[in-house]
Amino acid sequence: MILARVVGRLYSTIHHPSMGHKTILMLDRLKANGEPSGGSILAVDTVGAGAGQTVLVLDEGNGARQILGEADAPIRSVVVGIVDEIALSGAEQCDVRATVGLRIRGKGSGAGPSRGDESRDMSTASQ
Amino acid sequence: MNLAKVVGTVVSSQKEDSLTGLKFLVLELVDERRKATGASVVAADAVGAGVGELVLYAAGSSARQTRVTDKRPVDAVVMAIVDSWEIDGKEIYRKGRDDGELSP
Amino acid sequence: MHLGKVIGTLVPCVIYEGMEGVPLLWVQPLDKNQQPKGRAFVCADGTRMAGPDEIVYWEASREAALTLSPSFVPVDHAVIGIVDGVQLDDVQPDGVRLDREET
Repeated sequence: MILARVVGRLYSTIHHPSMGHKTILMLDRLKANGEPSGGSILAVDTVGAGAGQTVLVLDEGNGARQILGEADAPIRSVVVGIVDEIALSGAEQCDVRATVGLRIRGKGSGAGPSRGDESRDMSTASQ
Repeated sequence: MNLAKVVGTVVSSQKEDSLTGLKFLVLELVDERRKATGASVVAADAVGAGVGELVLYAAGSSARQTRVTDKRPVDAVVMAIVDSWEIDGKEIYRKGRDDGELSP
Repeated sequence: MHLGKVIGTLVPCVIYEGMEGVPLLWVQPLDKNQQPKGRAFVCADGTRMAGPDEIVYWEASREAALTLSPSFVPVDHAVIGIVDGVQLDDVQPDGVRLDREET
């Protein structure tokens, strides 16, 4: 699976029948620390992710078809989760200002608030 | 699929048992302007291509989706022989007319 | 899936059984801003309706073959749909959370 950030949407009327009314999101690929790695990818949304959110993308066909419940859909990339937080271990320095929205915690770096704040932030953000 | 020119064949006597009966071609990759990219690949042949022809080959697990390569350890297969193609409305290649050397 | 632009067409004289009549298109991959990125390749057209100069989205690997019928064909790139438009959001979301963190 890969980390990505929602940056837009794709609209299409002529497509393979299995695309139906699926939402196709334009995503920026992210590095482990939440910075864009330069690439972008289109993926089918299954979780209702919105612009700017950091998401988890499954980039493998068999799993994608299982999640969608369609045995013959030509789909490989599916957004399967919305990321709340990434915790990096070791000496990796995490500059939260380098990321948009995503909160990253490096162990021992002291960056990031407590978990209590985290959940409150998420509930605010989703409203 | 990628485009390539067949530049040779590979003969192997000691190989995985399931590869018996397959014909292997040496392909030189070609871009949309008929220029060699410098890369080459060995592919199984599913259509009966010959040396000198421009062909399309499929790579990865798709390459095992032919009768001759099914369930065999193959990751590239020649699946079409090219007759012609055009880019931006201009015909770049036509079989018979543009055979021979690739564009410089 | 990825964005691409149809830049040409290709006609085979011999093709693997089951793929007769499937349009083959030269596709130049594009980035999210629709600028060329990487080398062009040939796609099977799963929509059978795409033409030169159209922006399409395509998939690579074995999933590409699933756009065709029969799907047991050696296809590793296929056009899945024709793009009407791409809406890029200027995202500065959740930025509120970051500000709050800095103070």
